[in-house]
Amino acid sequence: MRLTALDEVCERIGLKRGQGLAEARAMFPKIDVIDEDERADAALLEALADWCDRYTPLVALDGKNGLFLDITGCAHLFGGEEALLGDILKRLHHMGFDVKGVISSSPGLSWATCRFGKAGVIPEGLLEEALAPLPVNALRIGETTIASLHKLGLKRIGDLLTMPRAPLARRFGTQLLLRLDQARGANEEAISPRRPVSALSAERKLTEPVAAEDHILELTRHIATSLKSGLEARGVGGRMFELVLFRVDGRVFRITAGASQPLRDPARISALFSERLTAVHDDLDAGYGFELLRLNVLQHDTYKTTQGDFTGEGEGEISLADFIDKVSARLGVDCLQIAILRQSHVPERAMIFAPAITTPSAPEKTAFPFPFAPRTDRPLRLFRHPEEVKTFAATVPDGPPSRFRWRHVVHTVIQAEGPERIAPEWWLEETDVPERDYFRLESKAGRRFWIFREGHYNAKEDAPTWRMHGLFA
Amino acid sequence: MAGNARAQETIFALREQIAKLEGRPLPALAAAEQADLAQDPENHASRLDQPRLLLGVDAVDNALEGGLPLDGMTEIRTTLTADTGPATGFALALASQLKKQEDADAPILWMGDVVSTQEGGAPYPPGLKQFGLNPQDILYASPRKLEDALWLAETALVSGALSATIFEIRGNPKHFGLTESRRLALRAKTAGRPLFLLRHVAAEEASSASFRLLVEPAPAAGRRLPDGSVLGGSIGHPVFRLTLEKSRNPAPLSFLLEWNPHDRQFSLGPDTDRDTGEAFTHGNSPTHPGTRLSASADRQDRPKTLGSVVAFEQAS
Repeated sequence: MRLTALDEVCERIGLKRGQGLAEARAMFPKIDVIDEDERADAALLEALADWCDRYTPLVALDGKNGLFLDITGCAHLFGGEEALLGDILKRLHHMGFDVKGVISSSPGLSWATCRFGKAGVIPEGLLEEALAPLPVNALRIGETTIASLHKLGLKRIGDLLTMPRAPLARRFGTQLLLRLDQARGANEEAISPRRPVSALSAERKLTEPVAAEDHILELTRHIATSLKSGLEARGVGGRMFELVLFRVDGRVFRITAGASQPLRDPARISALFSERLTAVHDDLDAGYGFELLRLNVLQHDTYKTTQGDFTGEGEGEISLADFIDKVSARLGVDCLQIAILRQSHVPERAMIFAPAITTPSAPEKTAFPFPFAPRTDRPLRLFRHPEEVKTFAATVPDGPPSRFRWRHVVHTVIQAEGPERIAPEWWLEETDVPERDYFRLESKAGRRFWIFREGHYNAKEDAPTWRMHGLFA
Repeated sequence: MAGNARAQETIFALREQIAKLEGRPLPALAAAEQADLAQDPENHASRLDQPRLLLGVDAVDNALEGGLPLDGMTEIRTTLTADTGPATGFALALASQLKKQEDADAPILWMGDVVSTQEGGAPYPPGLKQFGLNPQDILYASPRKLEDALWLAETALVSGALSATIFEIRGNPKHFGLTESRRLALRAKTAGRPLFLLRHVAAEEASSASFRLLVEPAPAAGRRLPDGSVLGGSIGHPVFRLTLEKSRNPAPLSFLLEWNPHDRQFSLGPDTDRDTGEAFTHGNSPTHPGTRLSASADRQDRPKTLGSVVAFEQAS
């Protein structure tokens, strides 16, 4: 067992990371040791990254104990880089974290300075001066490279900066030069943010935290109002929204809500979240309240602008879309579905259900509304798994049964139409699926069934099975 | 004298109140309408034009006082799981008739019930085309719980965006009682949109529906050929055996209705030769007749015994 992390006191008394536990105990018998829980550490770092979303949408995780924040274009919102860094450090310190932070123009330099140098903001022109005194360990290079650099007496980055590049590349590989360039800012390095950047987003900072749902919705409406101009400028409306709630103690909640049509109207956007909040009610623990609310537009679509007329036409469409949105937000996207007909002869493949919210409601958008219209009647209800039916007598070889038993009840067939032979789709089936002969039967009581025979009657094999597949009106 | 007049007044007031509750024209207004009719017959016609869904068969429409209410709830009931097909068909036929009558774009909401879907099959849209409906005109909802379903039905009615709502319920769940049905009926009334309550395997139960129809299967006539003759050995348009169980008529009315999907209209059922009399008995006898198990979701295992039964009344 080895030490993986140390607190301030242990660092001061001279313990080191990687030291054996027995050795450390021998030196200081009184130290407290806690097992490392990598998953919990990662979750904590994720939560911190979530919290950092308030400063910039581009937050990336860095190893086990670091975060990269791309604050390009964000610093002025917080009163400059110094103030931003001060704010982050102060808030994290109050949460109980010991944090070092550096702002510089390249991720590599920030990483290096943060771990080996003096924290703070590094001005644009002083890159090399800041980099030169740092040890070569600060370059994010492999252990062997570091060891061989040390052997040659190259201990500081400044030593490398003055050397000719070609011999360095020949001796230590291109990785060293790449890292060096990245640290100097000569080679652009991209961080990989955890979340996609939303197309549009707006937020509201609160001096007094809110907890009540009504207030959250009211604020959402306000924020949506400020988003509206942005949506209008792009000629789009939002299809998927995300409401991010930052709780006072640093926890972050994200609630997404979809819309069936591109939306701009603040009232309708806030109505979406009113249903979502009801649905997630138990999971949303407001605690001491939320201090920051942000509304992101995750997906958007072209907004069809239509001019309202005096007769109020076109309102029907809105109320239908509203209804679909409302139900999907409350009961889930899969609750409300529409049927899409497919090009297949096999009855169970002739259609699929798709969520109504993702499918354009206007029928003209579908190129072929009826890809395959069977010539014969199809039932109104179809069993997902055709149920086996016991037949007592059937006209051999191709006829319908004259009596059959389904769910313990014997039905006497009075009329029959068929057979309609539906062959398996050999281009899809992997195994040998028998053909089906469908019959439309009417029982003595007047019930109409759709029943099929799997395979054929022949002398070699057992009698084929009959299955009930659907019910007619 | 004065006391008598006051009593009369009270009775009139109560009558008016009852009429209002039942949605009938007020008796006092009836006289005024008679006067209007003499002056302006057209205006009168539009006034009487309460939203109704005409079935197109005079005898039935008369029994329904001019058709099924478009601003109310209609219950469609079956007694057996095997009758799911006819019940589904009748509800969809009503929806199709409504579409034809209103010629509106608004879709129909089909709210399925989980158990009914397992027992009676899932709705199959490709069958709708030949049934007189556009498969894209129907929205399918599958709420998981009854509470969700009730909320959904209410939202659907309030939104006014749907031309009709078909609400499938299996049995007589405890949480769908008179209060819930009253609430839905009121919502339907305010929104002016119909709600068809499709109750599979349900007992008669007091509800706020203005009409309740029992659907049973009935043999169909053969397919009609263009020259008017009937194609032997074929199964033609669907026929439903309907019993008007709840209405203002004192006696339940039973009739056969045939649905013609091509013309999207109902007609009185055929007098088939196949009618052997036996055909209309409830189902076929089971192969292994035994004690019937109680179909008791949310119900007691057997009805409570009362003191002495004097007479059975029809629940309404």
